Amino acid sequence: MTNSLTLAPAPRSEAAEQVRGEVREFLAAELAAGTFQTGVDTWLSGVDPAFSKKLGDRGWLGMTWPKEYGGHERSAMERYAVSEELLAAGAPVAGHWIADRQSGPNLLQYGTEAQRRAILPRIAAGECFFVIGMSEPDSGSDLASIRTRAVRNGSGDWVVNGAKIWTSNAHHAHYGIVLVRTSPGDPANKHAGLSQLLVDLSLPGIAINPIRILDGGHHFNEVVFEDVVVPGDMLLGEEGRGWHQVTAELAFERSGPERFLSTYPVVAEFARRVGKSSDPAALATLGRLSARLLALRQMSLRIAAALDRGELPNIPAALVKDVGTMFEGDVIEEVRRVIDVTPSLDSPDPLARALAEAQLHAPGFTLRGGTNEILKGIVARGLGLR
Amino acid sequence: MSDQDLVVATVRDILSGFEPFTLTPERPWDAGLWSALADAGLTGVGLPEEAGGSGGELADAVAVVATLAQGSAAVPVAEQLLVAGPALLAAGLDLPSPETPMTIALADAVTVHPVDDGDGPGRFTLTGTATDVAWAGVASSVVVLAPAPAGLDGAFLGLIDASGLAATDAANLAGEPRGSLVLDDVQALGAVLTDAQAAEVRARYALARAVQLAAALDQVMSWTVQYVGEREQFGRALAKFQAIQMGLAEMAGEVTAVAALTDAAVQALDRGENVVLAAAAAKVRAGAAVELVARLAHQFHGAIGFTQEHKLHHLTRRLWSWRDEAGSELHWSRVLGSGLLAEGPELWPTLTRVV
Repeated sequence: MTNSLTLAPAPRSEAAEQVRGEVREFLAAELAAGTFQTGVDTWLSGVDPAFSKKLGDRGWLGMTWPKEYGGHERSAMERYAVSEELLAAGAPVAGHWIADRQSGPNLLQYGTEAQRRAILPRIAAGECFFVIGMSEPDSGSDLASIRTRAVRNGSGDWVVNGAKIWTSNAHHAHYGIVLVRTSPGDPANKHAGLSQLLVDLSLPGIAINPIRILDGGHHFNEVVFEDVVVPGDMLLGEEGRGWHQVTAELAFERSGPERFLSTYPVVAEFARRVGKSSDPAALATLGRLSARLLALRQMSLRIAAALDRGELPNIPAALVKDVGTMFEGDVIEEVRRVIDVTPSLDSPDPLARALAEAQLHAPGFTLRGGTNEILKGIVARGLGLR
Repeated sequence: MSDQDLVVATVRDILSGFEPFTLTPERPWDAGLWSALADAGLTGVGLPEEAGGSGGELADAVAVVATLAQGSAAVPVAEQLLVAGPALLAAGLDLPSPETPMTIALADAVTVHPVDDGDGPGRFTLTGTATDVAWAGVASSVVVLAPAPAGLDGAFLGLIDASGLAATDAANLAGEPRGSLVLDDVQALGAVLTDAQAAEVRARYALARAVQLAAALDQVMSWTVQYVGEREQFGRALAKFQAIQMGLAEMAGEVTAVAALTDAAVQALDRGENVVLAAAAAKVRAGAAVELVARLAHQFHGAIGFTQEHKLHHLTRRLWSWRDEAGSELHWSRVLGSGLLAEGPELWPTLTRVV
């Protein structure tokens, strides 16, 4: 392979297969008991604190973190298997997803000892949820243009003013990691002067306003900060290094199986339907979709293996997200081309229902976590084109 | 330097003396390149020394095949190292000398009659036409996979001497020979395989093409990245145009996906797993990448890339051919779809076992 985006193949992990089996048994029992119903895109829209707690009790959150912070010191490959099983089952994991995926690793990397001790064990227990505070009403993917400001007051605390938008599940979350401007913008270095603050979302002056998506669901919010006083020891990492920290965080955000499994429940229903019909065209479609899915799994597994090696593969992660989110949307088109089904949120037919949910969520797939145009720009840089 | 790096360096060194050329019925393969590869023992890599091969791992053989694919090498090395050779050994048959070219024929329309009825390898006669045989007329021996003789279960796998057989002049889009062999009571040494063994031979063939596709896709992308960095339009390099950058990022996604899945399928084969579904997936995924990669490569190379004087066509024409060979994309996508459902309508548990 001559292109610079390729990672080494992932080794086989017996431990991962072991935990995969355990998660599968757990999910089968939960489904049988009716504690959840399979849904599409549940890593953003399926919040169930009781379910998150059960995962925490079983040791399936904070899996790769040190034991002293409530983690389990397991491999990224094991964590990958757990994530994948939860997503494939369409389980309600949105409560803890962001805390477990990126806020925890972020704290491990940049947090103070006190911050880690206070928060990481609670995330690992499934009791503490996070939001990402990056985008703003006028910034979108252009994070260098953010305007939310934090200034030190006389007692060394931060006073925050501004607004974040598209914050998923802020109405359920306990903390946000908020990217703020802590010194005036420098036209020569637009990435300078940004910092990350660890913000308790129950602080006075924070308003969380719902923004409904196309199916009427509420996971997005606008979070407005008005003279919010954040204690001085809640700076995450170094003042002025926010851009660098956010960039590193994005490898976690972009590489996981949630970037190609959001619409997997559609594929699963489609397979059940095809299994009954044996229609050759539908079988071929199932084969083509499966081949794409299998390739994405291998790409994502390679990233998990790279994380185990201590690498932070930002560019391959951007690539996985670009290819994966395109697949998530294509699933809808491929399935409806070979099955005569009308998507409907009210249908008794699970395929019609899954397709409807998928269709109404689909525009978000290629936006969240950085638009695909931004991602392609990162890949182009990796190819040496810019 | 790893073993595979050494293999790649050696093959590249040899390739440097043999420019790709446009294949014609008069010059359907690169006999000189074959001789050079055979002299270096590279036409027996991955085949055990005790069977007359050069030894080495499967990964070494894959490295040879991939490097030759990138060089548009007109020699039947993929067929010999990854398909015909291993199939003969799996059937308990002797390899011909690796210095002579060998290919594989999937010959569903050929009927097989036993000459003796001894256990194990025996003598048979073959009758019928083997169609779409890669390197027909070039390979001196052909491994034939055909339906089992009447009254026997499974499939037949045998070796014929093709040196006296006439082949039709058909070729694929790249000019590589893909003719028919008419077999009229042709003698073969052969054995009866189980259906599972026969499926494995077909899967190996598909995986061999996937390996070639993956390598060629990667090479086409590299050429394109290089070209857009050098070629200027409107006063700046093509690479500086955002539309070009977006297109190349999309190509990179396809090429990387193909490489990841093909590597995984090769590793599954190396572990001795049943690779029918893994090979099917790799072949389908690799084939699916061809359209975008070849289209954008030609688009970004402009008119010069559409000419025979530019090297690009040596690989794009092979890409368009290979995706439909050793079982079409449609065939393998159905094999994958039905194979995944064979154990029941729940897809996920099977899906996670494929590779």
